[in-house]
Amino acid sequence: MNKIFIIIKREYLTRVRKKTFIISTILFPLLYLGLIFGMGYIADKSKQNLKVAIIDNSGYFSDENLGFQNSIDDNSTLTLIKDSTEKIINDYKAEGFDGYIVIPAINWKEGYDSLYFKSEKSYGSSSTAAMEAKLNRIWSGIKNDSLKIGSEQQVILKKRLDVSPKNIQDENANAKTAEGIGYVAGFLIYFILLIYGSQVMMGVMEEKTNRIAEVIVSSVKPFQMMLGKILGIGLVALTQFLLWIGFVLIVYNVGKLSGGDMASGLVGSIQNMFASVNVPLVLFCFGFYFLAGFFFYSSLYGAIGSAVNEDMREAQSLSFPVTLLVIISIALMTAAINDPTGPIAFWGSIIPFSSPIVMMARIPYGVPGTVPWWQLGLSMSLLILGFIFTVWFAGKIYRTGILMYGKKPSWKEMIKWAFRKN
Amino acid sequence: MTLLEVKNLKKYFATQKAVDDISLKVEQGQIFGLLGPNGAGKTTLIRMITGIFYPDEGQIIFDGKKFDPIKDVEHIGYMPEERGLYKKMKIGEQTMYLAQLKGLKRSDALAKIKDWFIKFEMEGWWNKKVEDLSKGMSQKLQFVTTVLHNPKLIILDEPFSGLDPVNSNLIKDEIFNLAKKGATIIFSTHRMEQVEEICNHIALINKGQVILDGTVAKVKQDFKENLFSINAEQIPSMNGAAPFDIVGTKDQSHIVRIREGNNSNDVLQFLLQNGAQIHSFNEILPSLNDIFIKLVEGTPAARQFQKV
Repeated sequence: MNKIFIIIKREYLTRVRKKTFIISTILFPLLYLGLIFGMGYIADKSKQNLKVAIIDNSGYFSDENLGFQNSIDDNSTLTLIKDSTEKIINDYKAEGFDGYIVIPAINWKEGYDSLYFKSEKSYGSSSTAAMEAKLNRIWSGIKNDSLKIGSEQQVILKKRLDVSPKNIQDENANAKTAEGIGYVAGFLIYFILLIYGSQVMMGVMEEKTNRIAEVIVSSVKPFQMMLGKILGIGLVALTQFLLWIGFVLIVYNVGKLSGGDMASGLVGSIQNMFASVNVPLVLFCFGFYFLAGFFFYSSLYGAIGSAVNEDMREAQSLSFPVTLLVIISIALMTAAINDPTGPIAFWGSIIPFSSPIVMMARIPYGVPGTVPWWQLGLSMSLLILGFIFTVWFAGKIYRTGILMYGKKPSWKEMIKWAFRKN
Repeated sequence: MTLLEVKNLKKYFATQKAVDDISLKVEQGQIFGLLGPNGAGKTTLIRMITGIFYPDEGQIIFDGKKFDPIKDVEHIGYMPEERGLYKKMKIGEQTMYLAQLKGLKRSDALAKIKDWFIKFEMEGWWNKKVEDLSKGMSQKLQFVTTVLHNPKLIILDEPFSGLDPVNSNLIKDEIFNLAKKGATIIFSTHRMEQVEEICNHIALINKGQVILDGTVAKVKQDFKENLFSINAEQIPSMNGAAPFDIVGTKDQSHIVRIREGNNSNDVLQFLLQNGAQIHSFNEILPSLNDIFIKLVEGTPAARQFQKV
């Protein structure tokens, strides 16, 4: 036991003292913020202003009502073409248009459901949706005028019934906030599993290529060696997290004191989050799923590291199935957030390989409201059993692999190593 | 006193009988040469003795008791052939780490590391990294980490590879020193001249079995071909009465083989009676190299896969 502690200490200290640890701890939050703001900026900059020629054969559209719609939404400019329509159809580009829409001679009572925005390029539905909305607003005006519906009646006609989810067990539940926290928690676990999992793999490979493995296993059991590495690197990940949480708390408190515009917005949203979500429970579950998921996956990555030689490509091809499991979990998480009580969410959060990510995305919706206690308990116990199994399995492979040089084994051979006696 | 005894040890792998019924005894204070061609099963045998592998069958008795891999590894120092250190770790910390893994307390380890570093003139190395060392320097460091915890049994697999003659001698002297202080050393190598120089007992392993086991002197006696080298003037003309045949001659030195039923005294008597002027008279014993080649010859250079 004491020897595992010595190994943990070494694995932890050598990593925490590295410059890359300090840099990545500082850089990751900055990159994360940069990504969020950068994406917003790029999305803002890359808005297209489509110039569309409207060739109207119905006579309902006028320069006036198109101009009014253009002033509401400047993402597209609709221009009515009255003369030389043939010329536009043949060569709309020469006139400075991105495409054209031909409106046939239709009656206001019938409408028409297959208009085309014709262009040489392909446009997504989001570009045509805006145009469609513009034309439909004009079309509604025309219908209202024709039916002689006054502005008061128009308001009445626009009234509709709205249905949104409300959890009666948990009055404070806020689906939007829960979704946000779910996404962030799920993705953080995803990053930890991949980044720190591969750190375990690289660490084991380093011991093998440095040829220190045999020196160490003559002092400690290979299993202790592997466990020490996993626990040590797990502690590094935990340290990085605590630093980030500390960083957020500092920003929160400084923001509260300074009371600036952006800061107060941030403080407000954090307070809002505290009000609608059971923060201690979410934090506890995050800690649990983060560590248990890490044990589950990093032991598999460790086993792979022990089985391959110095060649990175061998490691990549062997670790692909494991990485795939993590990626599938993220796909399941997206489905679970859309429907946090559905069957995908349920099974995804119970089965150990995906439960760290999927369950973490469900928990912010509320326990026991969305996730009953028995599901949380079952998920946690299965994950504990799961990682005990993977650590045992990896230990068996590790013991053989770490002293084996030469050909890269296949997964089939590695499973054989695990189940043969001694 | 016997420090280590292995009895009927077996370890089979999927395609190899790596160790196939080996029994050996290593006495305390001995420098024991474990010899054998590549793939003979030496490394597997050593890995069982160091607790890395469990034997399939057989027993290991260490220091009078059944070998307990968890506890007894603290009394064993093993320098494997495939050896290395953490490249990026500082030398002082690394040595401390390995010493602590062998069960030494921090303060004890520190004192011992200092002694060894002074002995090997490595005082300035503490804050250097292994990647800054030359191969020979890291070899010296590796030796220190192997013997630091005063093991009762030291197992060295090719300890001199990569060392220059000066550093080789330094390590060799230390090996003698440690043996004199009571440590037992198992020394595995292919370099027969080193075995002859260092070991007092050898065992030769081939295809997973012991094919030769004894003291160096006895093994040489067993394999001698009754050859003597005589440096003499006026060797009498040979006739049927001479107790030897001349095998080769160069100037005044002759190599002779004693005939069955005679001994070296008969040869000397014959020479003296016939008035030869003798300058020297030596028995020619076979070198371990010759014995090794003779015994192992005919074994394919690489061990073949076999059905277990």
